[in-house]
Amino acid sequence: MPSTIEKNSRVSVEERLFSLVLALIATEVGLTKADILSTVQGYRQRYLPGGDNASLERQFERDKDDIRELGIPLEVVEPPDDPGSNHHLRYRIPKGLYELPVDVTFSPDELMLLKLAATVWREGSLSAESRRAMTKLHALGIDSSDPVLGYSPSLRVREASFEPLSKAMDRGQVVAFLYLKPGEAAARRRQVEPRAMVLHDGRWHLFGTDQDAAATRTYLLSRIVGPVVTVPGASFVAHGDGQGQEALRELEALWTANIAVIAARPGSDAAVRLSKRVAPGEIRTNADASALHLNFTDLNVFADELAGYGPEVLVHSPAALRTAVRSRLITVRDAHTDFDLNAHPDTTTAADE
Amino acid sequence: MNGGPALGASDKLTFLLALVPFLMDHDRISVTDVAAHFGVSPDRVRDAVNLIAVSGIPGETRQYLHGDLFDIHWDEFETNDLIVLTHLVAIDDSPRFSAREAAALIAGLQYLSSLPENADVDAIASLMAKLTRSASAAPSQVAVSGTDARSSIAVVQAAVRGGVQIEFDYLNARGENELRRVDPWRIQSVDRDWYLRGWCHLREAARTFRLDRMSDLHVTDVPTNPRSADAVPTETLFEGSASDQDVTVELPTSAVPLLADYAPYGAPGAHGDRVRRTLKVAHYHGLKRLVTGLAGVVEVVDPAEARAVVREWAAAGVARYDESEPTDAGE
Repeated sequence: MPSTIEKNSRVSVEERLFSLVLALIATEVGLTKADILSTVQGYRQRYLPGGDNASLERQFERDKDDIRELGIPLEVVEPPDDPGSNHHLRYRIPKGLYELPVDVTFSPDELMLLKLAATVWREGSLSAESRRAMTKLHALGIDSSDPVLGYSPSLRVREASFEPLSKAMDRGQVVAFLYLKPGEAAARRRQVEPRAMVLHDGRWHLFGTDQDAAATRTYLLSRIVGPVVTVPGASFVAHGDGQGQEALRELEALWTANIAVIAARPGSDAAVRLSKRVAPGEIRTNADASALHLNFTDLNVFADELAGYGPEVLVHSPAALRTAVRSRLITVRDAHTDFDLNAHPDTTTAADE
Repeated sequence: MNGGPALGASDKLTFLLALVPFLMDHDRISVTDVAAHFGVSPDRVRDAVNLIAVSGIPGETRQYLHGDLFDIHWDEFETNDLIVLTHLVAIDDSPRFSAREAAALIAGLQYLSSLPENADVDAIASLMAKLTRSASAAPSQVAVSGTDARSSIAVVQAAVRGGVQIEFDYLNARGENELRRVDPWRIQSVDRDWYLRGWCHLREAARTFRLDRMSDLHVTDVPTNPRSADAVPTETLFEGSASDQDVTVELPTSAVPLLADYAPYGAPGAHGDRVRRTLKVAHYHGLKRLVTGLAGVVEVVDPAEARAVVREWAAAGVARYDESEPTDAGE
């Protein structure tokens, strides 16, 4: 092969992907799969003319997905003279859709703000996405000072379900997972059209359409207790922009509407920590935390939290929350009671040190 | 690689695609300047340049002939560590953001806009619109609501800036309350919780404090000790404890992920769809709260002492309701 660069067949993944992107941008009419496999760096070395190239074809399918994941618009063009033909499909990357729009510019101050926004994500997929976005921004060559902030804000996505859920959401795929609803003892399978991922009140939520209930539901990611799988062949049409904001508005509305009145034992963990959460603007008539007004989003989640405080908290209202907390405490007490009456109440004090 | 997360092929490809237009705009630039601009190691820049310089398109002949490849001024590169692109192929502008990349930055901005220092809502809104227009598809629906910026954050922040000590009552995770005097170094939020890292004069050691466990916070006029500022640790916010105890709990198999923070490991003895797990806990003060907060899901089975602590805790809670509502005798 009389090529100017003769390399051994070990071409790195990034070299193959880079070569593929360059080749698909450079072509106006598009390249067929056979063109790509036989000529593009990284494929051509493994291409068998007239032979079985099945594994190379699968490689190309994966590479296409990886490239699209990066926001690169890899198009498939049907030949006008032979529509529907799989054989003559052509692939290309239209330059106009690949490049950042020319009229979009960022000032040094904006770049600084974006750097800061990127650092908000501490770990996990959103931090990787932010990092790649910043790499693309750096290509513009804008110099910015380093962000100055008296503190470092950070958000995490610790739930393993975030990644598969957001991928399925972007691709319009229906998902299924086991969900342990707060307040229930056993997990149940849910089949959902994912519409938005929302962080509200420190918790990640999935906002979506439950296909069994045929209704909108919000799920806590921390309560998804099994793997998230896509339902084969089940897809849905995207619900459009603003799903995330709609979900947030619903959660905010719930949070605002739900107000609990609780008493916290002075000096206790509950008093110290819950009193910090009193709604801004709330007039605290009782500095001794005997009647704290607290907003909450979900009754069962809040009841779990309040039950954890044991005797440090007494719920006055609403009645449903009071009942929920009390019944949780009874459940825990009874589950830990040995009915052969071998309890040693005096061990409590010793262990509590 | 000097620290940092492991880089996959996606990161490397993104870097290559971003580096080309940057180099086009800079006729001759040193490897170290490029590395500083992108925040990467000089070696990573050299690797990328070496790859770009031999890459290109198949071209008319489909043979990757010389004119179909990028080229650089090799002498400048090898002798002076300078990058001079001499031939360009196919691309000349930075790629758009993916739907998820734009979403990550937009959600980060949403969070920032709720912080006290970033009240410039208009600037943030216009920036979000730009990101949306710069993405190749509608940004993924990821939304983040604000944190409630409490006054204690502003107080601590002012003390960090002013370099003065602060004083507060601190109720620690074991339930002990003590007056602390602290050189505040750094204030940090993790999800909805805020933490202060600083030098504790009571313990004479670096400590992390939760802001929601502080009471009677006030700023003193005593300057922080400049010596202690050297002791700022890199990233660690929390330290493990050597005095952790083993506690065995029983729970439904499906609920095990709820305890992931406690690194549970297997323990024998359960039946049906329930399993047993052993957790390391620092103290029962925290354990009883954890278990009572997962009512009906998690049960402590061993040691008996831990069971009793949880039982007494829940029973004391129930008793408060019985006292406060004597007429409501039914369970």
